[in-house]
Amino acid sequence: MKSAWIVLKEQISSFYLIRRLSLYELKSENNNNYLGMLWEIINPMIQIGIYWLVFGNLMGNHRLVPLSGHRIPYVWWLISGIFVWFFINPSIVTGGRSIYSRIRFIAKMNFPMSTIPSYVIFAKFYQHLTLTAIVMVILQFAGYPVTIKIIQLPYFMFATLAFLISVTLITSTLTTIVRDLQQVLVSIMRMMIYLTPFLWTPDRLPAFLHPIMLANPMYYIAEGYRASLLGLSWYGLDHIKYTVYFWAFVIIAFMFGSMIHLKFRDHFVDYL
Amino acid sequence: MGKSVIVSHVTKKYKMYTKTSEKILDLISPKGVGKSFYALQDVSFDTEEGDVVGIIGVNGSGKSTLSNIIAGVIPPTSGSVKVKGEASLIAIASGLNNQLSGRENIELKCLMLGFNKKEIRELAPSIIEFADIGDFIDQPVKTYSSGMRSRLGFAISIHIDPDILVIDEALSVGDQTFADKCLDKMNEFKKQGKTIFFISHSIGQMKRFCEKALWIQYGKVEDYGMMEDVMPEYERFIKEYKKMSRQEQIEFQEKVRKSRTVNA
Repeated sequence: MKSAWIVLKEQISSFYLIRRLSLYELKSENNNNYLGMLWEIINPMIQIGIYWLVFGNLMGNHRLVPLSGHRIPYVWWLISGIFVWFFINPSIVTGGRSIYSRIRFIAKMNFPMSTIPSYVIFAKFYQHLTLTAIVMVILQFAGYPVTIKIIQLPYFMFATLAFLISVTLITSTLTTIVRDLQQVLVSIMRMMIYLTPFLWTPDRLPAFLHPIMLANPMYYIAEGYRASLLGLSWYGLDHIKYTVYFWAFVIIAFMFGSMIHLKFRDHFVDYL
Repeated sequence: MGKSVIVSHVTKKYKMYTKTSEKILDLISPKGVGKSFYALQDVSFDTEEGDVVGIIGVNGSGKSTLSNIIAGVIPPTSGSVKVKGEASLIAIASGLNNQLSGRENIELKCLMLGFNKKEIRELAPSIIEFADIGDFIDQPVKTYSSGMRSRLGFAISIHIDPDILVIDEALSVGDQTFADKCLDKMNEFKKQGKTIFFISHSIGQMKRFCEKALWIQYGKVEDYGMMEDVMPEYERFIKEYKKMSRQEQIEFQEKVRKSRTVNA
């Protein structure tokens, strides 16, 4: 409990630091490309195109997806969810290796190290905001104009950030100690895209599997984004129990992450 | 004048694994598996404010480990280091981001060291002037020569105004004019009563600049005192070591290495 408090205070007091460092992170990643940061947009767009082609067209997925009492054409259902994955996946993968790959550069013990995964996640967040705007524009023309339900979107963005920061606090500490875990993490994330309703629609699943799928907090995020962007429902309120579950997951992960982070952080350099 | 740095009974142990399986076993077994190497063994000394201490010793004797511990970059395995104020380490590999320009690196580095926006804006021009690398300041650091890189690293570290400065062979890459400029700056620090640790293999530079000498021999303090007392002893040791035959040198090193290695 106490360690969660320390880490939380560190995050808040270093907010300016997190913002500046995330900008530099973004810059140093894209400086070598002629098109620079444009790639942050081009890449996911190509991926969406491929997924739409394969899962939507080639596999003959022309059906309407039932969602909160509405029926949504597969392609809009896909687009309104999959772009969140383009934020979650790289955040978790680079967040996991964030500490051990940067510690040499930081090399100063009084640096608030719990902010390292956070600023790496923030560097991806700018891309996410841009993608969200693009998706919103696309959905305008697809017949899903912005409704009042869009005001849930900032909440789900915040929920996603909280989820990512809590999870990477754990993974970045563990991978620093045992480097192999980064490979495990990459594999898990490769599975997760298929275990979360990003590409296939949950209504095809046998009923008994449904609760198991719901245990994955990313399910909550994906459905929440869809509900806000397509203007379908007040997802967080309609599924209040699920909301409680999600936040319980995040808070417990954050507490556990803070605990192990503080326990090991003085010795991170020794694990290099 | 008070004590600026108190190092007491500092020991730094490193694990040496011969196989990956040892690494895994060490992680799970409570007693630990594999050999340990003492980089530092029970090192104790203290310095007054305004001291300029030269750390001398042959390669692999633990000088850099000690300087890293004083600067707070790595924690000691046991023992304690008390530092009055902020310590800053200047090393050759000064942790610059290769993709970013010199100017961006200045901001990045200062941010990491806890400066705010306004302070950085005030500091940047004088850092750029001190580094004196011309138009390259807006080029990515990966295009820099090693001399330029150390100039920039040195300029940043020296401008953050630390109370204790640890210089780990950082001057050996710069040319004479830059080295002189740095020595001037360090003399300025000396006058302000800051403590400076200086590591260099140039005995001449050492004699000119430092008052005290700390001789680290194979992870232990061999001698600590005034430069004119310690340095002749060190030079005598070097001479004797050189006189040994190759075989004797190998045996000597073997003996030393054994004394620093323990099981688990």
